[in-house]
Amino acid sequence: MRIEIMIYIYGAVCLSMIGFNILYNLLLKRREPRLERRRRKIKRQVKAQLDAIRDGKSVDPKHLRYLRNSLRRLNNLIAFDRVLKPLCEGTYDDAAAKYFLQIQPVILYLAVLYDHRNTMQAAYFSFFLSRYMAKRQRPIDSIQEILLGYVKKENLYCCVNALQALCAFGSAEHIIKALKIQDQSKVFVHEKILTESLLSFSGNHDGLIRRLWENIDSYSEHTQLAILNYIRFQSDGYQEEMFAVMQDTKKGKELRLAAIRYFGRYFYAPALEPLLAFALDKDLSNWEYATVSVSSLARYPGGRVVDALKEALHSSNWYIRRSASISLEAHGENYGSLTDVIVGNDRYAREMMTYRLESQRLQKAGGES
Amino acid sequence: MMDAFKIFFDYVGVFFIIYMIGYASFLFLSVTVGSSTLYQVKRRNQLKNELLGKYYVPVTIIVPAYNEEVTIQSSILSLLALEYPLYEIIVVDDGSSDATSQILREAFHMQQVNCPIQRKIPCQPEEAIFETHEFKVPITLIRKKNGGKADSLNMGINAAKYPYFICMDADSVLQYNSLEKIVRPVLEEGDVVAVGGAVRPCNGAEIQNGRVVSYHMPNKILPCMQVLEYDRSFLAARILFDKFNGSLIISGAFGLFKKSVVIDAGGYDPTTMGEDMELVVKLHVFCREHGVPYRIRYATDAVCWTQAPEKLKDLCKQRQRWHIGLFQTMKRHRRMLANPKYGLVGLVAYLYFLIYELLSPYIELFGLITVVLAFMVDLINVPFMVLFS
Repeated sequence: MRIEIMIYIYGAVCLSMIGFNILYNLLLKRREPRLERRRRKIKRQVKAQLDAIRDGKSVDPKHLRYLRNSLRRLNNLIAFDRVLKPLCEGTYDDAAAKYFLQIQPVILYLAVLYDHRNTMQAAYFSFFLSRYMAKRQRPIDSIQEILLGYVKKENLYCCVNALQALCAFGSAEHIIKALKIQDQSKVFVHEKILTESLLSFSGNHDGLIRRLWENIDSYSEHTQLAILNYIRFQSDGYQEEMFAVMQDTKKGKELRLAAIRYFGRYFYAPALEPLLAFALDKDLSNWEYATVSVSSLARYPGGRVVDALKEALHSSNWYIRRSASISLEAHGENYGSLTDVIVGNDRYAREMMTYRLESQRLQKAGGES
Repeated sequence: MMDAFKIFFDYVGVFFIIYMIGYASFLFLSVTVGSSTLYQVKRRNQLKNELLGKYYVPVTIIVPAYNEEVTIQSSILSLLALEYPLYEIIVVDDGSSDATSQILREAFHMQQVNCPIQRKIPCQPEEAIFETHEFKVPITLIRKKNGGKADSLNMGINAAKYPYFICMDADSVLQYNSLEKIVRPVLEEGDVVAVGGAVRPCNGAEIQNGRVVSYHMPNKILPCMQVLEYDRSFLAARILFDKFNGSLIISGAFGLFKKSVVIDAGGYDPTTMGEDMELVVKLHVFCREHGVPYRIRYATDAVCWTQAPEKLKDLCKQRQRWHIGLFQTMKRHRRMLANPKYGLVGLVAYLYFLIYELLSPYIELFGLITVVLAFMVDLINVPFMVLFS
């Protein structure tokens, strides 16, 4: 009897699944034409408002009411997204800018509404904001405050979309808050994503970096790393601060390595001695510091640097040797000036340097062809 | 005597009922979970719940090649058409007796270099290394002494410049967006050490530059059955295993791995025929025994197209190879079985592979023999059996 019950349950679920698949496919087939009808309807409305704006009028309050009611439905929001997309491509129309500005109260209303929806819908709404509303006009603080609530949600995409929307708004104050919220959240956001989001910030980068630096110790090492990488790509004005990070043995390895990389991008004379010390460190447990320092030394001219790089070429660590060969090549060293290495007794150093010079020749030839 | 037969067939009957209910339950669960997950993925993509930025993880594609002179050039051309900016291609010619290396050198204007390779994993020595920088991404050809696919992959890992590598077959074609899709789990979770891609038979598909131009079911019965088999596996079972970090296999045709962890675990095992499965099981063992937090993920939308065998002889050879590989892996890592240290991987995934993959041919053969035996001693209701089947 129990077996029969089990078979009935299995059969019922199988039938439900078949039913679900048929229904879903039917819906999917009907979805596109329906979305297209909605898009056309909204497009007519939007076009009428844009024409009115061009005639010097404002957006009709009826249109605002229409948007307020219809965009509560997700499918209408998707259709609205499709209407706005071509509007925002290429040169941005003045009438469109005014339109976006005047529908802001509707967007604010929707921001509150979608904040209470499931995270998937909330993520879509924050994507919508980042695409259309953020950089088009003066940011509204209240929307950004609501977006901070979106960052709190335990959904990676919602968090990332909201963070990107906030970056597009360009308010440093809100980015600081968003990063703190994200930092304390259970959602893992890769440091690459954090760095890229910060790089997309539409406001004043110097101001943002200054505020981030003031708060740097309040973030976890993971977020600090993303911030250091962001600073590396964005500003050459943090040499003293980065120098302090590089020299601070209490800081985490990845942070110190990020600081060393900073000096590989921007020349800073006081950093030369510590970089040389890292590069010539014989303790192989510190090989990562040595490898990154040797790479950074590519930017530092001088006989001492070349000598240190040649010495690093004799390291027993493959990565240090490879970085040294790349840096020596960047210094413009060639077969002639590297005779002592090329005909030397150290086969590993010789092979690495010869390969680098050969490979560089091939790359140049490839670039020319 | 007859009583003994009856008792024997009673036990056989109970065993097969339990066996079939177990398998039906697994299929049922995997299809339910698979279809609901795929629906969620589709919905998520519709609602832009995906990483839309240009976040690129540098990847090395390793292509082991042995006597692939017919397909190698088009395979590399298809890899060059991938929509991803940050990758390199390493072709490892495993001592081919045909013109694989020569064709590559001529087609891609490769030049010999003396590239020093760090031996982090043991492998057969290289005979010559060629490089070219004339294309979108650098291509390296390493010609080495024959040592098998696992050995070639180990050589590729040793020569890889980037922190993640992809293993693939020389005759497979990656879909144009597959690299972007397969690295997504790495960005979504911090501790991902491997990601499996979805493999689909390309018999019946027309593919140009990694894009499917047209698709229909294959005309022949054997590839048709394999299409269904692949779909059942990649659209259902693997999704279920992924839910509890229980994937025991990432197809050798398309998988992404974190290089440092694979090196620490010892790389591919050249002594087994199923090096792809062995590596994944080894990663589970390594990470769990060393307390390394890890996830082995499956990316349903990272698609690789492969040629399914159309002749029975080729299919038999392929399945024989897979089965021996499965046996070797299961035997080598038998301590995983129901071992609490390995959690659900040992309890569910290992047990499933043991009973429904490794032992199933023997169990089915045993079933057929008992049917014949039962028929001989007149203990089978033939009309009922025919109706039931």
